[in-house]
Amino acid sequence: MVEAFAVASGKGGTGKTTSTLALGMALAEEHDVTVVDADTGMANLLFHAGLDDATVTLHDLLVAETATTVSEATYDRFGLSVVPCGTSLAGFEAAEPERLRDVVAELARDTDVLLLDSPAALGSKSAVLPVVLADRIVVVVEPTIPALSDGLKVQEYARSYGTGTAGVLFNKVRDDAADVTEQAERRFGGPVLATVPESDAVRGARRAGKPLLAHAPESDPAARYRRAAARLDVRDGDEGAVADRFRSAVVPDTP
Amino acid sequence: MTESAGSTALRIPRGDLLRSRVVSDVGTTLSRALDRELTGYATLVPQETLLLEGDARGVVTFADGVPVLAYNTVSDSGGPDALAELAVPGPYRVELYAVADGALETAHEEETLRVAPGAAATELADDPALADRTREAAPDERLDDGDDDGDAVAAFLEDDERIEAIREQARSEAEERAAEWGLDDALAGDDEVEADAEFT
Repeated sequence: MVEAFAVASGKGGTGKTTSTLALGMALAEEHDVTVVDADTGMANLLFHAGLDDATVTLHDLLVAETATTVSEATYDRFGLSVVPCGTSLAGFEAAEPERLRDVVAELARDTDVLLLDSPAALGSKSAVLPVVLADRIVVVVEPTIPALSDGLKVQEYARSYGTGTAGVLFNKVRDDAADVTEQAERRFGGPVLATVPESDAVRGARRAGKPLLAHAPESDPAARYRRAAARLDVRDGDEGAVADRFRSAVVPDTP
Repeated sequence: MTESAGSTALRIPRGDLLRSRVVSDVGTTLSRALDRELTGYATLVPQETLLLEGDARGVVTFADGVPVLAYNTVSDSGGPDALAELAVPGPYRVELYAVADGALETAHEEETLRVAPGAAATELADDPALADRTREAAPDERLDDGDDDGDAVAAFLEDDERIEAIREQARSEAEERAAEWGLDDALAGDDEVEADAEFT
């Protein structure tokens, strides 16, 4: 079985990468989970997962005619399979976004859950591909009007490509923020998976180069991410069919 | 300047014009008001009219640099509702005015038009650091003004027209770009799209 989720937001700074790894580690208690840094232009998952020195990354897999295999760019960390992305501009420029579908198709053969940490903006083909390829998106937003506007936008993009919504994750929520869960659920047509507060535990994890659930597993935000993961209700998908879909989902790029 | 529509009309003296310009980020205006501890007001006219019915014209007042009231002179909304209506992607035409000390005291007693100190920075400028700075500068009694920006967020989420406009714009943008990026074939048919729109 496999289900692919794009963790998306429509804007930067909402905590997508922290959320991707936290959901991944929580889901890994029951599933085989693979996390991919699909933000090829502004990769940062490697810094969150202690993979700063990774020599082979997704960038290498997105370049034509290298002999790199997917397994070479896949690292076992914190109970997850992690495919980090490189941070060099040269790597980004050489990458062909279209190849992501083949990488995703191959990864889908050997995992239960694929989490694609997606780019913040929707302004390029490489940025929108994770949302196109995923079965469902998890929308990570702060409960503010600019963030919710962008969240609704990314959801509409996803819907245009037949990608459903698994839910909304409210992140970086201030103590005095009003509860808008009910209205948000109605608007997004999906559950608010969790409300995660602003927290020193999250900042500490980032500084330590570790996922939150490894750095502060007993913290309140960690518990909330676990509950969010439990609410995701991972669906069974036939891995062969999913891989085929990834392969055929996108018509070849015309130069 | 006098605005006099509706029962919660905002009446404030015209004051001295400090600057008038189009800004892509209203945070620069809010930050300037905060840094100079301005007592006065800003008029904000969003240049993005696509998401709004007709013209919106906002007024945000400041006491010692900290936003106090928000008002939309077109819709006659005040407080968090006005902020929600004004919170659209930039640019804005902004005019910043200073008024004499004490000249806004009467206006600032109008509690229905009040907004939390950090709400304009959060909702209009999308700038959490500026919101923090503004809250730090606010007098203690102002920090009890509502639950910060939550009311504005709720007002936004209740606005059917606004949300539909965002969706429609995103939908047509997605389709246009799909063509541009050669992703047309990945677009869902109408049936598939509808099936996703339910949540109970």
